[in-house]
Formats: sequence, structure tokens, C-alpha cells
Amino acid sequence: MLSEILTIGFLTAFLSAAVRLAVPLIYGGLGETIAEKTGILNIGMEGVMLSGAFFSFAGAWFSSNLFVGLLCGMLGGLAVSLLHGFLSIFLAKDQSVSGLALNMFMLGVTSFLYKLMSTGQDYQQIDTFQTMAIPVLSKIPLIGEAFFNRDILTYMLYVLLILTWLFYKKTNYGLSFAAIGEHPRAAASAGIPVHKYQWISMIFNGILGGIGGAYLVLVQLGVFTENMISGRGYIALATVILGRYTPFGMFGAAILFGAANALQIRLQTIGIAISPFLLAILPYAITLIAMIGSIGKNTKPEALSEPYIKGAR
Amino acid sequence: MIQRKNGKNTLIDIFLIIIITVLIGTLLIVMCGAKPAAAYNLFFHGIFGNISSFSEIFVKACPLILTGLGCAVAFRTGFFNIGAEGQFYVGAMVTTMVALKLTMVPGILRMVLALLAGFLAGGLWALIAAVFKAKFNISEIIVTIMLNYIAINFLGYAVRSFLMDQGGNVPQSAKIDPSVQLTTLIRSTRFHTGILIAVGCVLLVWFLMEKTTVGYELRAVGINQRASACTGISVMKNIVFSAFLSGGLAALAGGIEVLAIQKKLLEGISAGCGYTAVLIALVAFNNPLGVLATAVLYATMQVGAGSMQRQLGVPSAIVNILMGVVVILILGKEVFHMLGRCRTLTAQKGEK
Amino acid sequence: MPLLEMKHICKSFSGVYANENISLTVEKGEIHALLGENGAGKTTLVNILFGLYTADEGEIYWKEQPVHFSSPKEAIATGIGMVQQHFSLVRKMTVLDNVILNLRGNRFVLNRAAAKKRLVELAEKYQLYVDPDAKVCDLSVGEQQRVEILKALYRNVELLILDEPTGVLTPQETEQFFEVLRSLKKEGYGIIIITHRMSEIMSISDKVTILRDGKQVADLVTAQTNPDELSHYMIGRALSGEMVLEGQPKEEDILYLEHISLEKRHRGKHLEPFDLHIRKGEILGIAGVEGNGQKELAEVITGIQKHTSGKIWLDGEEISHQSIYERYESGVSYISEDRQKDSLVTGMSITENLILRDYRKPPFAKGILTNRSAIMQNAAEKMKEYQVRASGKSGADTIVRLLSGGNQQKLIIARELSKQAKVIVASQPTRGLDIGATEFVRSQLVAQRNKGKGVLLISADLEEIMAVSDRIAVLFGGKIVGILNREEATVQKIGLLMGGITGEEIEKQ
Repeated sequence: MLSEILTIGFLTAFLSAAVRLAVPLIYGGLGETIAEKTGILNIGMEGVMLSGAFFSFAGAWFSSNLFVGLLCGMLGGLAVSLLHGFLSIFLAKDQSVSGLALNMFMLGVTSFLYKLMSTGQDYQQIDTFQTMAIPVLSKIPLIGEAFFNRDILTYMLYVLLILTWLFYKKTNYGLSFAAIGEHPRAAASAGIPVHKYQWISMIFNGILGGIGGAYLVLVQLGVFTENMISGRGYIALATVILGRYTPFGMFGAAILFGAANALQIRLQTIGIAISPFLLAILPYAITLIAMIGSIGKNTKPEALSEPYIKGAR
Repeated sequence: MIQRKNGKNTLIDIFLIIIITVLIGTLLIVMCGAKPAAAYNLFFHGIFGNISSFSEIFVKACPLILTGLGCAVAFRTGFFNIGAEGQFYVGAMVTTMVALKLTMVPGILRMVLALLAGFLAGGLWALIAAVFKAKFNISEIIVTIMLNYIAINFLGYAVRSFLMDQGGNVPQSAKIDPSVQLTTLIRSTRFHTGILIAVGCVLLVWFLMEKTTVGYELRAVGINQRASACTGISVMKNIVFSAFLSGGLAALAGGIEVLAIQKKLLEGISAGCGYTAVLIALVAFNNPLGVLATAVLYATMQVGAGSMQRQLGVPSAIVNILMGVVVILILGKEVFHMLGRCRTLTAQKGEK
Repeated sequence: MPLLEMKHICKSFSGVYANENISLTVEKGEIHALLGENGAGKTTLVNILFGLYTADEGEIYWKEQPVHFSSPKEAIATGIGMVQQHFSLVRKMTVLDNVILNLRGNRFVLNRAAAKKRLVELAEKYQLYVDPDAKVCDLSVGEQQRVEILKALYRNVELLILDEPTGVLTPQETEQFFEVLRSLKKEGYGIIIITHRMSEIMSISDKVTILRDGKQVADLVTAQTNPDELSHYMIGRALSGEMVLEGQPKEEDILYLEHISLEKRHRGKHLEPFDLHIRKGEILGIAGVEGNGQKELAEVITGIQKHTSGKIWLDGEEISHQSIYERYESGVSYISEDRQKDSLVTGMSITENLILRDYRKPPFAKGILTNRSAIMQNAAEKMKEYQVRASGKSGADTIVRLLSGGNQQKLIIARELSKQAKVIVASQPTRGLDIGATEFVRSQLVAQRNKGKGVLLISADLEEIMAVSDRIAVLFGGKIVGILNREEATVQKIGLLMGGITGEEIEKQ
């Protein structure tokens, strides 16, 4: 049993699956990190990703072009985030309520539109983005296959992660964006346009979350199904907390979740004598336990989910 | 910010929200290529066509009332329990187990025990999230969602193993003995005793929240945890109690669904009502009586939309969309006043 | 040429004027004081100047050019810097990052090394020493204030607004701080300083503008005025005399903290082991710079925080192990520093807030049921007795959030000064209140003392402490560093203690 697990072949396939399963979470988590850094909690990430998934599918289906699909997915996610921005920034409403409402709303909208789209046709399948091995790097044993024999969206993600990290660590604007989530009034006193930057962060939140949803369709499955995000948006929220609001921390947490998921799938395929339903519990249980482990460090932006009202006394 | 809250504005808000919702509904129907007149005709026919379809409203409303009530209790105490779905499943599972396995206890008593056990289990299940929040300060939203997936998968396992019907090959439990089932009250319909239990729960919870010291504490904690703690109210105790009650109510919905409608345990038994419950509680402003009304209204729309779907192919998902629209409009209703104010301003300028 | 002119500024909130036709002129090298009670409109005025609020009417001229600021960004760009009463610092960031936050002239990629060099130079020049790499949350309040001033100077401002800058400083620190201001003045900076302390105005300012109820009541040259005249303008009527402390406190203790200490797992304040007595019929004032353990002391006595070691005795009975509620029942009442966070459920009505302590006992509860008529009657009686005024038709059902600060405080007092109270812990009980409410609160506390109860009065306002206390204890670094009798207490002595110089050291000097 153990010897079966510990072969290079198994580990390679396992790591590869872990990364593949983590990519949508990392996109969603990155978008959420950017939003929460400016104090906006978007519980509606699930809805953002679902919208991204559906519209990327619809775009790719009607245009027969994956890049058009990707663009539609980005716009679909963006629309949901902007609605959340309208309710939580402009109207200063309870962000949890707004996010939850948007999740339910988008579940209805995407199911409805998909039914409209699929009447009279059976199985709708689109092409997916192909993997492109990066020379040399992809030949590294164990991790080469997992990280460098992938699709264009995954490579783009690596770049985005590094850019985001550099943005917050090294740049003038990064400092300003991070200050808003900690102390919006202080940020405003330093002349930072709080609401404008919150809107900008919501734009990134929507586009990145949209890509996260689109990834499922355009890379992994090639189809849309009702409620296909099935909780990944919420897990993305968990990875942000686990990753202590840093891009690479979040990346690590998402890989952990992906690995737990990959492990249970791998165990199923080698025919382990545990019910697949029990194995499916594993990733969620691991996330919960990891969250207990992550407590104690207060890294949460201090003004997270508190609406900032300009000129209020 | 100007605080302006008067009855007239509230009425206008409600009126506008209804109008906009109906307009969007009509638009969606048109998008499906159906004629609105025909669709609405079917919609109302589906509801009032006969006693059986009319009673379906209450059958559909029953789990929504209980799960919505559960959400409302939790939200009122500042505990964002969106785990009604999972708690529903836990309740359904435990109720089934007791109903099937506790054969030495006779009929009605076994039924009562089964429902109570389900309530207890659902309450304890929700407590996990309460402990995470109270002890580790981890967002209950994320924890309850994780717990939902765990419960759903565990149910998948249960109906394929220890609760599987030995006689069949289908992933579902054996049929529950008729003596343990909740009785149907009106012949040739599915109107069952569970509906009365649900309404009874609404009244009890309303009484608890408004007329007792327990409810006073829960409300105080929900509005200001810190002040409640500083004046000597135990926040931990109240969150734990509200989580338990909330989970128990959702679980009771699951138990009733098993004992009254399905008569056995199977996958997908909640039909997503645990998530709809969140919306219902929000629309009802977490008021128990409001939950009752909203759940019945929602179920009515569902029944009507179901008939549209069967006859015209209009997806019943539009009910979900419209419910989301209502919540968003409630959140965004200031926009009406802003628009109104802009118009009065321009009008005044024009006069000058 | 005046540096700044504000002309005919008006601003109202919800139809009430916070500023009504106010004009202000500041020259280069001038320190201009804005004097007024709480709620007189001082902060509103400078917030308008800084672009945080927009004036309803009026003009602002900068070096004789009309300007209009819709955000602090524009004010800063013009050359105006502000140090707010509640600091605008990001606690998790370093001093350097706070200083260079959103600085004009920052390149896209920050050059922290160069910025640090300039910051250190600036700090040297004005003797505002602080470690650029320290995180703000690890700094003392005085250091944080230095960071705020450095932040403004770093932005090359020409006019510095300081909102109540000395409230968090000891008298000695204040003197040092004024030295900094004088050197800035010499360099030609214009300074607006907001305060309600006469002595400070006399010592630092060149001119004074006095506001009362949103109106401008006087413009004076400091050299030609005196504290009596200032207070006459500020208050507009004579104070209703000194508080009368009748008789002497009794011999026996009502509250005794025996070797009490508090340790916290994370960073944060501690209480070092100390003893403290409060006698029956005594007001014990706790003086000290804020953040030296005042909140911890209050919360340890009331049971909100559990002390680490030592014992607490109330009227001869140990209450160390009692819960918050049990201590209240035994006789510990609490008027907290942050009324809206710690004492009131602001989303509930007056009626409901008045029973927050007693809702589970008769007559308000019958079993687990609430007794609406008894609760209503209680509200009616308490509102009358304590002069709680609710606006609008809702009366006792008014939501507390809608009440003024003074009425909210009266509500808390009405609830906490119950029959069984033996000790009243009052933390900053008059902060943010107008003179009328302040006097009401003080007289209530004195009345409790005269009835033979014990009062622990924690206040950052030294004048308040000295006005009503029988004895004054000084907290520094989580420790009682000295206790003075009413007769021997002077501002000088208390000030030294507040700065951490112990009694013995004072005697040596």
C-alpha cells in the first residue's frame, strides 16, 4: 500500500493534480486578497467565479474562440464584483449580506441562462487550452511536470503572483492600498482616495475571480454545469485567511487544499478500500484544521468589512 | 447621514421593490420565448388550480420555514450561520437512523424521538462552528460552508453503507415504517403534520425572542457583543445557544422532510433549501413571523413557476433570481430616494 | 501677507450648525489657538480646512489665492498638514512607511533608503527622535505623536494643524513639545492649535479664536488677555461653583486591591503588582497619561479582564473570583470610557438599555418572561430623575444611537448608580460632553461620595481630577507610582509622577 503511494510516478501525478486543482482557488484567492487589503470582504467570490465560469463558457461556445471566452469570463466576474462594490462601497451596506445575496443571485442567473442556452441540445463541449511545456524547467523531476508543463493561464498566474507581491512590498501604490484596509481614515488623511482605490481593487477582484471560474471551463472541463464552482469561492476565502493576507501565503494554502483534494482522488484511483465519499471530506477537514493552526497571528486588515463613509463624524 | 425613516417611504420602497421584481420576472419569461400572459395564467393556475397544488405551497414552505427560522435566529445573534444545508442533512440522517433502527420503541414515540435526535444532532453540528468562532475567532461563514460539504459527503457515504437499504441497489435507505411517519392531514394531498410543527416553531421562537429574557440577551449580543459582555452577559453562552437552536431548527426541517415526504433517506433531499433559507431570513429582516410569510411567498412562487416550467419550459430558476433581486433591492433601496432627491433638486432649480 | 484666511465658514449636520459664519486668519510664524468646549465646532472647522468635510458656505484663501479642498490630498499638496486627535497612523506599518505613505514625489517603486535618510535628518533637526523601522503599534503615544508631526513636516507643509495635541502628554512632555513648536514657529511655520486648556494657550499661542456653540465669540491677542477672560468667552456664563465634598471619607475601605497584577499573553499593557484602597465616602482620582493601564485597572475591578494575581476585596468580602455580573450584584458599577462600545447597545431603545444590568431579576423578569409594564415604568422614572431627553415622538422607545453624547452618558449613569452600588468605577466620564452635562455628571459622582459610596475616577483631565478627588493616585507603566492627598497635590507633583518620576525622586530634587 505505502509502496504504491511512494513511487515517483504517483507523486508526480499527485503534485500535478494538486496544482491543477489549486489554480482556480489561487485566482479567486488573489482577487480576494486584493479586495480585503482595501477593507472590502467579498463573500460573493463564489458568485464571481460562477459568473466567470458561465460567461467564459458562453463566450467560447458562441465565438468558438477560447480567448473571447476568457474575456467574457473576466467581464462576467467583473460585473458581480462591481455590483458588490456598489452595495458595499457606494451604499456602505453590510458586506456579508451583500456577498451572500450575490452568490444566491448568480446561482439563479447562471442556471437560468444555461438552461436557455442548452434547450434542444444535449451535451455541449468546448475545446480547452492546451498545455505548453516550458523547455528545461518542465524536465525537473517531481515538480517540473507539476508546475511547468501547464497551460497559459497557470503561467500567467505565476506572473500575477509575483507582481502582486512586488506591488505590496515595494511600490508607493501598494503601500496606499494596504493602508486602506488597516485604517481608512488615516489613509484618507494622507490624501489617499479611499473609495476610488476600493473600486479599483474590486475591479481586480472581479477580473481575477472571473478567470478563476473560467479556468474550470476553459482548461479543466470544457463544459459548464449548474453550480459548478461548488464552494471553491468560499474555499478561496479560507485560503486568504490561511495565507495571512499575503499572495504567497495564499498560494501555499491553496496548494495545500489542492493537494488534499488530489490525494483523495489519487487514493480513489488506486482503489483504496475507503469510500470515495469519506475521502471527499478530507480536503474540507484539512482546511478546518489548518485554520485552527493559523490562529494567534493577527494579520487581518483591521478595518476589514467596515464601510468607510467619507465625512461621517 | 440623515436618518429618515417614516411609514410612507417604507411603503413606497415595498411598492417599488414589488414592481421591479415583477418587471424583471416578466423580462425573464419573455427571454424564454414565452408569452407573459400565458405564463402568468399558468403561474396562477398552478397555484390555485386545485387543493392538491395549493397544499403543495405549504409542503414546499415547510422546510423553508424551519431552515429560514434557523438562519434568522442565528443572524439575530450576530452569528452568520449559512450551514443550514449541512444541518438539514445531519438532521435527516440522524432522524432516519433512529426511525429505522430503534425498533423496540413503538410508533409515535419513535417518531418524536427521531425528530428530537435529529434536532439535537443538527444543533451539535452547528456548535462546531460556534466553537470555532468563540474560541478561535474564525469566520463562521467559512466554517459552516466547510461543514456543509462534509455533511453532504457523509450522507453520500451513509446511504451507501450503514443506512443503505439491504434489499436494493440504489443509494438510499430502507423505507420508514408507516407508524413512524408524520401523518398526512388532508386526503389526496401531501399536507402533513410537520407543517403544523413548523408554524408552532415560528410562534415559539417569536415568543422567545420578543417576550423572554433569553431573547433579550440574544438580541443584545447580536447588536453589540462588546457592550453585552461588559455589562455581564455571557457572549459565548448566547452564541452557543443561538447556534444550537439554529442548527436544531434546520435539522428538524431535514427530519420532517424524511418522515413526511420522502419516507426514506436519499441524496439531494434538501433541494438546496438550506441556501434559500439564508435569503429568506434576510428578506424577513430576521423576524420569525416575517420568515413564515416570506417562506410561504417563496414556496408559492416556486409552485407557480413549477407549473410554468412543465408547460412552457420556463426554468423555475427564475424564482431564485427574483429572490436575489429582492435582497439586492432591499440593500440598495436608498437609490430610490437618491433618484427622488435628484429629481426634486432639478425641479427646484428649474423653478428658480 | 496672511498665510491662510478662512472667511464666513458655515457647516451644518442634520440641520444643526456646527460652524456658523466663522472667519480665521493665520500669519507665517504665528501660533494661533482655537479655544472652545467640546462640541463648540473647533474640530469641524479644521476638518473643513483639511478637506475632510466640505463647507456649506464660505471661502478659504491660501496666500491670498482662493482655494477649495475636496480632499486632504489637495490640502496637503497646498501645504497644510494636520495631526488629528485620534492619530491617523497605520499600526501594523513601520514609522517610515507611515511617513512616506502616499507621498507626492514618491516614485512608483519606493526608495526607502533615501526616504529614511531624509527622515532621520528631519528628526535630528527638530529633536523628534523615533526609530524609523519600528512598527507604530510598538510605540508609546508620545512617540506616535512625533511620527505624526514628522509625517506633516516631511510633506513640506507650511501650516500645521494640531487637534488637542497635549491630551496624551504629561505636563513635562507638553513643555518639550512646546519647545518643538517654538522652533517650528521660528522657521516660519504657521500653526493652529486646538485646545481647551487655558494654561497652554497662555504659554504657547500668539492669538486666540474662541468658539462657542458653533459661533465665533472672540478674537484675542494672547499677550493682552488672561485665563479669566478666556474662560468667560468660552463658557459664556459663570460656572456653578466648586463641587462641595461634604465631610471626610470614613476610615474603613470599601474596595481594596491587594497586590493586584495583570499579565497579557500578547503585547499590550500590563498591570504591575500594587495595592490600592478606596474608602467609604471617598473619590479616588486616577491620574496618568492615557494608555498607562487605566483601562486595564477599570476592567480588572469590574471583572471584564481577569487579573493574574492578587485579590480584590469589596466591603470586606473577596470578589476576585466573581463574574462581571456577580460583581455588579455585589456592588461594582461601571461607567466606561467608550460608552458606545462598552456600555450601551446602541441599536436598542432607551428602555431596553436601562435594564441591561437587571433584566434577569424581578420586577423586570417573571421567570424567563420579561415584564413590559415594569420595564416601561422604570424607564419613565429614570429618564425623569436623570434628565435624559429623547428627541422625537418615540420617547423612551427611542433608539439610543440617536441620542446626544450627554444623554447617552446620563442613561448609563441612570442605570449604573443603582441602589446596590458600593463602588463606582468611572472612566473618563465627562469626555466629549458639553459643560452642562459635565457638571451634571460630576455632581452625580460627588453625590454618591457624599452618600458614603466609593468612587474611582479615572480621567485624563487633570483639572477634573483635582477638582473632585479626595486623594489622587498616579498610574504610570501599569503601576501606581504615587498617591497624594487633596491638600498636597499640585500640578507639578502629579506631572512628574505622570512622567514616571517617583515620589522619592521628587524629594531628592
